[in-house]
Amino acid sequence: MTKQDVRSDAELLSAIADGDRVAFQELYRRHSPWLTLRLTRRCAMPDVVDQAVQDTFLAVWRKPKAYQGSGEVAAWLWGIGVRRLIDQLRRTHKSLPPVQEELVVSAEDRVLEGTEHGDLAGALQRLSPELRAVVQATVLDGLTTREASRLLGIPTGTVKTRMSRARTQLREALA
Amino acid sequence: MNDTAWHASPALMERYAVGDVSHAAACSIEAHLVSCADCRQLVATQVDAPRTDAVWERLLDELDAPRPGPVERFLLHLRVPDHTARLLAATPSLRASWLLAVAATLLFAVAAAHVGPGDGAIFLLVAPLLPLAGVAGAYGRTMDPAAEISTASPASGLHLVLVRPGAVLTTTVGLTLLAALAVPFDGVGAAAWLLPALGLTVTALAAGTVIDTGRAAIGLAAAWLAGAGLSIWSDMGGGAALSTAARDLAAYQPAGQLAFLALVLVGATVVVARRTTFEMEIA
Repeated sequence: MTKQDVRSDAELLSAIADGDRVAFQELYRRHSPWLTLRLTRRCAMPDVVDQAVQDTFLAVWRKPKAYQGSGEVAAWLWGIGVRRLIDQLRRTHKSLPPVQEELVVSAEDRVLEGTEHGDLAGALQRLSPELRAVVQATVLDGLTTREASRLLGIPTGTVKTRMSRARTQLREALA
Repeated sequence: MNDTAWHASPALMERYAVGDVSHAAACSIEAHLVSCADCRQLVATQVDAPRTDAVWERLLDELDAPRPGPVERFLLHLRVPDHTARLLAATPSLRASWLLAVAATLLFAVAAAHVGPGDGAIFLLVAPLLPLAGVAGAYGRTMDPAAEISTASPASGLHLVLVRPGAVLTTTVGLTLLAALAVPFDGVGAAAWLLPALGLTVTALAAGTVIDTGRAAIGLAAAWLAGAGLSIWSDMGGGAALSTAARDLAAYQPAGQLAFLALVLVGATVVVARRTTFEMEIA
């Protein structure tokens, strides 16, 4: 994994469709680390995360044409990855230990929040961890209510009520 | 998408990797990573290379492993243990071609019952033979591609004896039952063929502890056809219609049904008692 490959992600995918393993390895090299880290923030069990990453790239190898050709390949990979993680959790019947709680808010974060998100970041920050987890799963991760309920290990009804509560709180905070 | 001025600093990425950032910052980083290859490259240094390499190795193993067929995948989906799924998927009489042949035979018997003479006569003659043929096809060197593997496999004899015929009987008997619903029976229950079918099948398995199961099945099928044919022939010689003659077969009379029930019980006892010979037979 040393040679620099100049092909774009989309070009790699079309090469993979022709059975190009070098392209597949390059795609894996580019995308498996961040996917691993991002999935780790949803699930603290390394074995489960690794299996989800493996399943994700297996799915990519088998159906590279599922990528529609528009949008970021990384976003497409994330969509597969988070669903494979949910499958994995369901298969192993493991309940999800809560994702790590926030630690001290650093100066860097304050700058980030102030410049990039304005009030939204602060409002998100003030949500309870339960509500925030639901917002993250549905809004930011793009999951359906049912998928979010599997990921978080709570009933779908709870996902809906928490989402509407979070929406109310955010609306008030941003008003 | 490189027009964004914002990039994550190495220090921030490091803290993201260990979970030491606020929720808002993490969301921000994650949204950015989706569209920024440079930052993806940067964060990649935060994951241990041995870890991603190990996943890659396993991925390659999985790519090179033969992919289970649709039947096997379906069984695995139902949480059937993988060795049992492989055993079932390799059963000749569970293949699509076999099941199609069974369905075609049944279709013919049902059609004959509606169009030809003798109502369900042909159905009553043929139905008991289908499960027998299916179970015979589940064994033996000539038909089973997995015979050599079964020889070396440590599965217990009884497991091997029960799993395949169980699955074969379920599919074949199920198909036959469906077909039986479409046959206009007169005076004989639509399930009357069931006990003869089971009787013949279990007897073939019991005989399989002594001789080859396939040969035993052929012998039993011949005996059934000869006995039934003789009975029908002599009945029709006495002026009876084909339908009456088939219905009057001893096997479909109460005494005959009881006899086949007894055959099932005796055969099953023999199979269980002599189960170890199945490993011997295949070997």
